[in-house]
Amino acid sequence: MTKIKHLKLGTKAATMSMAAVLSFTGISGVYAGTSADGTLEWSGFLENATFLRKDVGLVKFRNTVQLELVKQFSTGNTFSELSFNVTFRGSYDGVYDLNKDDFGRNAGGPIELQSTFSAGPPFVPHGGGLVSTGAFFFGFDVGANPNEGLMVLGSDSHANDQGGVSFGIPVRPCDVDSRGCIPGYLDLSLDNLRFPEFNSRMDFLREAYIDGSIPFSNGHELNIRLGRQQVVWGRTDLFRVLDVINPVDFSRQNIYDELEDIRIPQWILNLDYRMGAVGSFDDLNLNLVWNFDKFRPNSLGQGGTPYQILGAGGFFRGMKNCWDNGCTVANFAGLPVPGTTGLAATDFAPGTLGIRSAQLPEWKLDNTQIGFKVEGVKGGVGFSVNYLTYLSQLPSLRGGSVGPAALNNFTGEVKQWPYLIAFDIAFPRIHLFGGSMDLYADSIKSVFRVEAAYTTGEEFANTLRPELFSKNDVIRYVIGWDRDTFIPFLNKNKAFLFSAQLFGQHILNHELEDTPATLAGIPGFTKAGIPDWKENWIMTFLMKGWYMQNRLSPQLLSAYDFRAGAAVISPSVDWLINDDWRLIIAANFKFGKGPRKFDDCRSCNPWGPFTATPFHADPFAAGSVGLGGFEPLGRFRAGPIGMANREDEIQITLRYRF
Amino acid sequence: MKNLITSMITGAVLGLGATSATAADMNDVEKSFYPYKNSVPSHEGLSAGMTINQSNVEQFKDILDEGMYQFIKDGWTEMSVTDTMAFELNTSYIEATKNGMGKVSLGEKPGDIRGFVAGRPFPQEPSMDDPRAGEKLAWNYKYGYNWGDNAAIYPFYWKFRDLNSEKIERTLKFNFHFLNLKHRVNDDPKPDLPKNPANLFRGIYVQVLEPFDVKNTQLLIHRYEDDLKRDNAWLYLGFQRRVRRLATGQITDSFLGSDLMIEDFEGYNGRISDMSWSYKGTKNVMLPFYKHNDQKLTEDHKTPDGFQFIEFGGKGGCFPQIDWQLRKVYVVESAPVDPNHPISKRVHYVDAETFTLPRTVIYDRKGELWKTFIIGQAHPDHHLPKNKGTGVSIDDSFMMLDVQGAHCTTGQFKGQVDPALNPRKKFTVQNMRVTGK
Repeated sequence: MTKIKHLKLGTKAATMSMAAVLSFTGISGVYAGTSADGTLEWSGFLENATFLRKDVGLVKFRNTVQLELVKQFSTGNTFSELSFNVTFRGSYDGVYDLNKDDFGRNAGGPIELQSTFSAGPPFVPHGGGLVSTGAFFFGFDVGANPNEGLMVLGSDSHANDQGGVSFGIPVRPCDVDSRGCIPGYLDLSLDNLRFPEFNSRMDFLREAYIDGSIPFSNGHELNIRLGRQQVVWGRTDLFRVLDVINPVDFSRQNIYDELEDIRIPQWILNLDYRMGAVGSFDDLNLNLVWNFDKFRPNSLGQGGTPYQILGAGGFFRGMKNCWDNGCTVANFAGLPVPGTTGLAATDFAPGTLGIRSAQLPEWKLDNTQIGFKVEGVKGGVGFSVNYLTYLSQLPSLRGGSVGPAALNNFTGEVKQWPYLIAFDIAFPRIHLFGGSMDLYADSIKSVFRVEAAYTTGEEFANTLRPELFSKNDVIRYVIGWDRDTFIPFLNKNKAFLFSAQLFGQHILNHELEDTPATLAGIPGFTKAGIPDWKENWIMTFLMKGWYMQNRLSPQLLSAYDFRAGAAVISPSVDWLINDDWRLIIAANFKFGKGPRKFDDCRSCNPWGPFTATPFHADPFAAGSVGLGGFEPLGRFRAGPIGMANREDEIQITLRYRF
Repeated sequence: MKNLITSMITGAVLGLGATSATAADMNDVEKSFYPYKNSVPSHEGLSAGMTINQSNVEQFKDILDEGMYQFIKDGWTEMSVTDTMAFELNTSYIEATKNGMGKVSLGEKPGDIRGFVAGRPFPQEPSMDDPRAGEKLAWNYKYGYNWGDNAAIYPFYWKFRDLNSEKIERTLKFNFHFLNLKHRVNDDPKPDLPKNPANLFRGIYVQVLEPFDVKNTQLLIHRYEDDLKRDNAWLYLGFQRRVRRLATGQITDSFLGSDLMIEDFEGYNGRISDMSWSYKGTKNVMLPFYKHNDQKLTEDHKTPDGFQFIEFGGKGGCFPQIDWQLRKVYVVESAPVDPNHPISKRVHYVDAETFTLPRTVIYDRKGELWKTFIIGQAHPDHHLPKNKGTGVSIDDSFMMLDVQGAHCTTGQFKGQVDPALNPRKKFTVQNMRVTGK
């Protein structure tokens, strides 16, 4: 009943909201236009996006205003063209007010965590671990970290009675509940969530750049674009192999939003030296990109937001809360009680497990990012050769022997403990070497697109390493195929677009090993090492048609993650009602295996002999024997599609353009 | 009188046909470029200032193409008649034709031409006895003076209209740019631009300015000099900020939802070798040639310099409100070589003086009338001041009417013959990235 209420409320509110915005702006007077002298152009749109999720209800009620301005200047002697371009975007996502029980100030509640220890209750409340205050240095202050405003890690994607590790995640906005918020990284207040562009980085200023061209006497030209902007490299859709200059905001709609809308603009100097035809090249150009902005990572969403890639925002928030305030961890401790089985929920003290801090790179010259590209056309084949040195937009968890000094809950000693799941977040420097090409094969009426990159410096979780991560070189590529094909019985006037892409990722020097427990075939144990697949592929397929003079466009987009065994199908219909109004109705359904299990490092034995298992030949030797579950590392095997397997949605977007 | 003229033209054609195997001479060039030097065609009852409409259309059936006859008969439009006037092409093009006389020939296969440098490749009158006459006329069109060495339609408004409800469903605003890299006759360097390793003949660059959903879309077409090579085409989609190579099969697709394929641009925008060309005879036919400044102009989209576009009216608002005149026409049919092509044939009414395609009628795969295309031709001396004296027959208005779909796309041009608007850098893939947002 609650969900039906949300559905009706969402639809009604969408209508009212758009009407209110139109009324507010005095729509009869709001149009795209050009100044009398033709040097200033403006345009924009208003949009409402209302998304409904199965078993949840309203997950998005975003109302957006975007305004784009272009001002041309007289060029003088130096520039052949000179303009200033600016784009403003502001939005209000009403989901935090309309569905505050799931995502706003009332989200979450008290939780219970599984405890498989046979001599105890099957579930205990947060703060009610069987190993707790009074036992050595275990336990935490429930007054400072109460059992309210929480959800169980992973409860939105899998059941929590499977014997795995878990803990509570605070899910209310950070100004309502500051637990687990990571300053400067994942610390959004209710207003930050509702009005995401209005923050200290002025994201409402989506783009603001000067664009100029300087011609040379030899016919060459230097294009200069300086300011806040998006710079797009590569030739493929959906995947970011070379298109990694701007970080992206996954909190808008996980991996399913248009990159155009989720790239986070950066302050960049973008120089293009255009030589035109040179020698045997039909076209040849050199490109320099210098991202001198203060570092921004990808936005992953945070605990309590409807969209999070890999559920990472919630995991990080729970981990940060564990470090700051202590926490109850499900199914953790094997107790030396004769005749019992299972693992007891355990209350860890603050400063023991979790994430201490995010080490966001400060602004300095050494932390800026720079790229070079040679791009051209030769013999009808488009190509590029790319190099980029940049700071990882995804976080790396550095723990164990290089992590924060942590409290041994048995001895009280504070130091760095190899294999201990206590982390700091880092954003390492990455070097990318890549290239791309496209060509048309007339014999099969097909376009082929290829994009590839080799990176060094990326860091992956790795339970075989005492620091719990390893640096691995990675090869990624996309092969794309496009073909227009008439299907006369569906449309005799207009061909359908078929587009398929195969994305491959190969982690070099990948580590994944059997443990004594897996060799013994003990249930509940997995191999240890890097949870990301050594080799994996994702296939996408798009079929798109057009009717009514392209004003009605149905499409079917699907993707399949081979290793994860997870698929998504997203049918949609895009209706251009007229030049001003556009309605998109879409669905997003997931299929497949969903969450996957992996070594969770409960059996890493950081505090031997206290934490040793029967499979540790030397009870003083740290190292994992592979006890695993869904959380936390199974997410890397499930991938972004599998981790969102319960997020089936109906999505309605109405846009008014001016 | 009509029969007499037809007979005379046919006779002339047959007469010239007898010499078609020989090289062109100066007389051929004179006749080709100045068909109205000594007389203009006439038809009984036809006079300047009159209107052909439902009441009198039967009298003029023989000088109307199939489509226009039916439209007038059904009362969808009327035809305002003016005197036939010469649209003399630029003298440099005519001189180039003279310089090339006797040097141009067809190769063994369609799409193969030899010895061509610049000008009109085959100025001789076509002959019904020449099995490749249609192909020669197609070459004359491809290498026609057209927009000159370069031009821009800047801006260019397209409207998608429902024929029955008269509703305008979409208004698109473009800039179109054309540049000939070879066979140039007017602007230095000529005849060919240097540094052309791909040996391109022509570049076409299109930029969409409005509406918002397709704003910043750009299209670039590279046409090779070798007609047997497939065009290269790229599309920049503003919302993707990415250049996508087009499968050139897309040129037979609706362009941005309009009633035109990319292949329809300018009357025909494909390879000679993609079609089988048949010459069907020479006739006098009413064609849309006019003085822009004397036409009914719309107040919509007025540009800052005061330029006004052609007004549209008639059924569905699909028909340009322009003058028509009786002109000498070569009737040419083009049938796709590819059996999967969405059409069965086009019938082109080739204006003999300018080798433009002011009227084209298109038939679907079943052979039934599908679309009919008007491209209104404006005299350059009665248009923008900068166009005066350019010797370009200016594309100035168009209508592509889908008879089966009861739908049309109309176009309003501001054609500008201005090299400054068409620098070579505009015709590169990189320009799309730099220009795009």
